Amino acid sequence: MENYQGVAIFGEWTGREIHESTYELLSEGRRLADELKTHLIVLLPGPPEAKEAASELISYGADKVIATLDERLNDFRDDIYARIVAEKIEKYRPEIMLFPATSLGQALAPRVAGLLKLGLTAHCIAFEIRQEDRTLIQVRPSFGEQVMARIISRTRPQMATVRPGVFPHAKKIEGYQGEIEIFRPSEEAFKSSLEVIEKRPKPKTDVDITKAQVIVAGGLGLGSKEHFQKLFDLAELLDGAVGATRPVCHLGWISEDHMIGVSGVSVRPKLYLGFGISGSLHHTVGLQGVETLVAINIDEKAPLMKQADIAVQGDAREILPLLIKKLKKLKSQREND
Amino acid sequence: MRIMCCLKPVPKPGSVKVDPETHTLKREESELVLNPYDRYALEAAVELAEKTNGKVVAVSMAPPNAKDILLEAFAFGADELVLLSDRAFAGADTLATSYTLACAAKKLGPFDLIVCGKVSVDGETAQVGPELAAWLGLPSVTWVKDIKPLNDSLELIRTREFGEEKIKAKPPLVITIEHEANVPRPPSIKRLLKQDEVEVKILSAGDIGAKEEYLGLNGSPTQVIDTFAPEYHGKREIISGPPEEVSERLLSILKERGLI
Repeated sequence: MENYQGVAIFGEWTGREIHESTYELLSEGRRLADELKTHLIVLLPGPPEAKEAASELISYGADKVIATLDERLNDFRDDIYARIVAEKIEKYRPEIMLFPATSLGQALAPRVAGLLKLGLTAHCIAFEIRQEDRTLIQVRPSFGEQVMARIISRTRPQMATVRPGVFPHAKKIEGYQGEIEIFRPSEEAFKSSLEVIEKRPKPKTDVDITKAQVIVAGGLGLGSKEHFQKLFDLAELLDGAVGATRPVCHLGWISEDHMIGVSGVSVRPKLYLGFGISGSLHHTVGLQGVETLVAINIDEKAPLMKQADIAVQGDAREILPLLIKKLKKLKSQREND
Repeated sequence: MRIMCCLKPVPKPGSVKVDPETHTLKREESELVLNPYDRYALEAAVELAEKTNGKVVAVSMAPPNAKDILLEAFAFGADELVLLSDRAFAGADTLATSYTLACAAKKLGPFDLIVCGKVSVDGETAQVGPELAAWLGLPSVTWVKDIKPLNDSLELIRTREFGEEKIKAKPPLVITIEHEANVPRPPSIKRLLKQDEVEVKILSAGDIGAKEEYLGLNGSPTQVIDTFAPEYHGKREIISGPPEEVSERLLSILKERGLI
């Protein structure tokens, strides 16, 4: 295990820029590298135009960027990307390897784990270092319980995917020195039977709930799609966005774009109102960045009620329309003043 | 097309039992249901088999009490049912699980396509599909929400944060299925009536030629060392009373705090 040195992160190129989540990995990766008194490297595969990004990554605290720039990396193809990352890991032998838990990272990291027969922990929300044996302790919600698990891996590098939105964006460090190294993978690595023939962006009208300042979210406690729909009225009055738990997404009350939690997104609004949400950890891991958390629930013992800054005990189905009515009145008063 | 569909029995919400020493799920003591995402995976597999005059082999790595889940899969259209069950499989993390499924795929195959759900609702890792593909040396495409069979390839629509991608893929490959992919059919009455006659093939580690060192808890590089309950701050405000009153009170607090 002594042969493994350094912290590595995966640099995700979106086609135009470096993905936000890479900057979050840079800040946490830098912290871990400092704690282990070692270097931080970024593995960056991408098309030739991703080259500019390499020096940018250094200015955010990377000691080395290992870039593979090739036209054939213009699209994400799982098999090609995984082989390249695996070849880089075999050559540079980092002790820790972090991936973003984006759609790309979640497809890539397990392929790499399978190729190299390595342990991989999904959707981590915190890390600790055990100094005596340089072990990375990986924290994530445990199975279906209201507890967090600390997980370690017997293999090196110790690999994990990291929830986007959990760690802060790295800060630019003026004059930070690092190097860019070009890595040429084997020709074998570029073989694929996949071909990306079209990319279609989402319609622009969709709200990005990860950036909303106010979120009104609903869970099964709202009882029906009809009640759930009223969240959109409240969101409009508060200039916010609608969030949801997984069960209501599965019932078809709302699309998964609005899902907050382990398989959904992390949000960091100033104000979050949770209606009829019991607050399983699988949802609340997405709420770590919330400034003021309000829970509205009939069950005062629901976990979200315990976590809330303001716990409102009552039937979410009754309180939601009342809030809408009162806010409308308040708004018209303000307009008349 | 000959299609393998991986199905994961998960504990019914509220019936989760965890081994206090290994922190792994005690699946044999939990009431099991089919992972909701796998229902869409199964439907996608059955639809594709119908269009291509193929067969669906439903495979599950689970304790013996998962047999009923496979019989359900028969009612939903699976042609062959295989349960991978062996004490040696217990406590597997995703790497050991995907290895076991890969051994089964080699034993039962060759397959043109292997279909998994996008993610399971218990572990929520979404790792087994791509890991399985890597063990088998096959390409993988995750988060697929539409599949169209062409002459010698498949046209797949994959969800991404920015929207979606259209991908042309030549079998064999592994795909994982989104819940938007289809509307699963109800169980077939004809098949329900035949449930007593269908065989669930039970295979052990030896039957699929799996190497002991890659299986179960021993073959799992990741280990849970402990668990802890997240701590919350104590200074919360509690509002209770009739709905009118609590609504009024909530709004005035939010106003005081400058939040609305």
